[in-house]
Amino acid sequence: MGEYISQMRNPRTGWLLLSPTLIILIIFGFMPFLYVLVVGFFDWNVFAAEDGMRFNGLGNYRRLVFDDLFLLSVGLTIRFAVFAIVSEVVFGFLLAQMLTRNFPGKSIFRIIHTFPLMIAPIAVGAIWRLLVIPGFGPVPFVLDRWFDFTYQIGTYPDQALATSVIMDVWHWTPFVTLTMLAGLSAIPREPVEQAKVDGANRLQVFWYVTLPFLRPVLLTTVFIRIMDAIRTVDEVWMLAGGGPGTRFTGIYIWRVTSPGASADWGYGSSISLITLYLTIVLCWLLFIAISGRRKGEVE
Amino acid sequence: MKKAFTVLLLLAFALVANMSLVTADMHDWWADAAAHYAGATIRGVSESTPPSNYVADVLAAQFTELTGINVEFETTSWDQMYSKAINDMEANTGIYDFVYIEQDIIYSYLAQDYLVNLTQYAADNPDLAYEGYDESAFTSFADYFKNADGDLFGVPMEAFVKVYLYRKDLFEDADIMAAFEEEYGYPLAPAESFDQYADNAAFFTAYGESMDMDLWGTTVQGSTGHPASTYEFLESIGPSFGLYNWGINLETGSAQSANGGALDGETAVEALSFWLSMLPFAPPEATSSTWDEVASSFAAGRAAQGWVYGENAAWIATDESRSAVTGNVGVRLPVTAEGVIDAAMMGDGYIGYYDGGAFGVPHSSRNKEATLLWLQFIGQESVQAEWAAAGARITHTATFDDPLIAEQDAKVDGYYTLLEEQGPLFAGAPPFPFHAQVREVIDPFIQRAILGELTPADALSQAAMAVDEELSRLGYGM
Repeated sequence: MGEYISQMRNPRTGWLLLSPTLIILIIFGFMPFLYVLVVGFFDWNVFAAEDGMRFNGLGNYRRLVFDDLFLLSVGLTIRFAVFAIVSEVVFGFLLAQMLTRNFPGKSIFRIIHTFPLMIAPIAVGAIWRLLVIPGFGPVPFVLDRWFDFTYQIGTYPDQALATSVIMDVWHWTPFVTLTMLAGLSAIPREPVEQAKVDGANRLQVFWYVTLPFLRPVLLTTVFIRIMDAIRTVDEVWMLAGGGPGTRFTGIYIWRVTSPGASADWGYGSSISLITLYLTIVLCWLLFIAISGRRKGEVE
Repeated sequence: MKKAFTVLLLLAFALVANMSLVTADMHDWWADAAAHYAGATIRGVSESTPPSNYVADVLAAQFTELTGINVEFETTSWDQMYSKAINDMEANTGIYDFVYIEQDIIYSYLAQDYLVNLTQYAADNPDLAYEGYDESAFTSFADYFKNADGDLFGVPMEAFVKVYLYRKDLFEDADIMAAFEEEYGYPLAPAESFDQYADNAAFFTAYGESMDMDLWGTTVQGSTGHPASTYEFLESIGPSFGLYNWGINLETGSAQSANGGALDGETAVEALSFWLSMLPFAPPEATSSTWDEVASSFAAGRAAQGWVYGENAAWIATDESRSAVTGNVGVRLPVTAEGVIDAAMMGDGYIGYYDGGAFGVPHSSRNKEATLLWLQFIGQESVQAEWAAAGARITHTATFDDPLIAEQDAKVDGYYTLLEEQGPLFAGAPPFPFHAQVREVIDPFIQRAILGELTPADALSQAAMAVDEELSRLGYGM
């Protein structure tokens, strides 16, 4: 038995057990990443007069930082991500709180509210497009007939952005609810009861007890959602094609539709890498903000 | 009398027997030719359109029954089709054995040497050459898919033009006609000038509002999140004003007037201004409409007139399960500015885009022989008429004379006749090897003009500059 335990604790066994995952990660994750990294330094446009790849140094990156549409798309992506994620966290937390209590129809509600998670993003986009397309969708019809409000996502950029945020919130709030519910369920009762005995009100219990316990779950959830929100393409693309005009074109949609990226693989690769960099920076900033880590702080 | 009747009966019997033998021979030929490939699967990709849906639903099954070769045909969105086909051919992955080649992208594909020379390939494989397939039977549209030697690189699959559709029930309504004449001082009629088009549009929009109807004066393919809007401007509205080749001077490789281009010129600005001035008279979905939504809007009876791709004309005019205006669809040539038709007749211009495409075989295909059989199958004359009736597309000269098409022609207000007789006034896209790249450069400016963020003059001026920059970057410009 002792020999078995010692063998299992051997680092070689650990590496052996990890190796299938590592091999898959290297083949399907790391190698394509390296490929994209290399291609980002080349001029490679399939429709160029000259065929093939030509070394371009940092030319693609230089072009990128002076590209107004790219900068616009970064700003819009951040706006979209902030609005969507804050809403999802707030609604997700409230729903999770509600689901910790008993109420009639709770089990049915819990099933129904996870339905959006089961739908593919492209289908979500199609459903919402049918709902909101001017002239055919019920939403513009109702808003026009009942409230005399002109709702046209093809014409008004703010409406397109708001609709995209609402669609994303509808789609992903159940995910946040489930993670929050898991976090809330894992909180021990004693600290909460102790705080109440000490006279803490609901807000104080939430702020000083619940939130610190929820922090790891919150952090993980927000990280996942940030990465998803920045990479959003399919549902928003399906909804309005990234429009109207250039006014609601997220980074990834812009990458798909921009003249430089759809057939210029070198430029497209540089956009992918910059997007990855921005995602890491955003996640790091958020990690610092939420976890409260400061320079010199000891873990 | 009895003798004559017997002779006639024998002749009829002989004819039927002969036809049966020919049909049996034909079946045998396909089965023999495909013997080595039976059980194989060939894969293709195309945009989901009425003609390609017919291929997926009808022709693929017929071919499989004859040959035992399975056809997996993916009909997807227009942009996905391009993306999938180009990525596959450039990376040489061999996912697709045949791809849809839109007429405007053929020059890019030929420049990149993506496609198999079908004429040569058939000559090199005489056992696979079907005698019922004749390249010379195609209409002149096939010329767009040939190289300088006349070799074919794509079997024409669809060809159609963008026409002016109008609702006859409205234009021929006595009360409406009287109201129009009272307001404008001349009789209501399908538009023959841009002023008349604008009057019709304004009148029917006001009429729809006053009658509390979901009716507007015109369609506009003005999606602000899709290249469809750029295409309507560059390939339909622009040429009808006399703006050709997207305003790009093919010799100087420039779109700017200062360098011989015309994209920022007076004609282009006039064309864009007119088109944008139609937006207030278009249904609210106009700024979200691609070609599909335009057809749907017209079919739903929401527009009195408009520019609609001809491939939709047949179902809009005849399919009661999808269209609310069956039996009431009028078809005419699109409105043109003075002198444009004369220039087109002289061969100095064109009035609109002769749209369509072909199926080609990428070099990366792993099943070229089986795919050659498939392309000959869809390119033979016997399958054309029903396909044309379903998809309002014609690629064979003989199809125009088919009784089925004659019958359909009457239902679609002479669309097929128009295609045959007036088709030469239209032209395919200019021979740009940089088609998609340059169009993508122009998109944002057209879309911003639709949104009112740029004036027509500013939008086209900035677009022309951006085009020149892109052409220079690609190595085609000045």
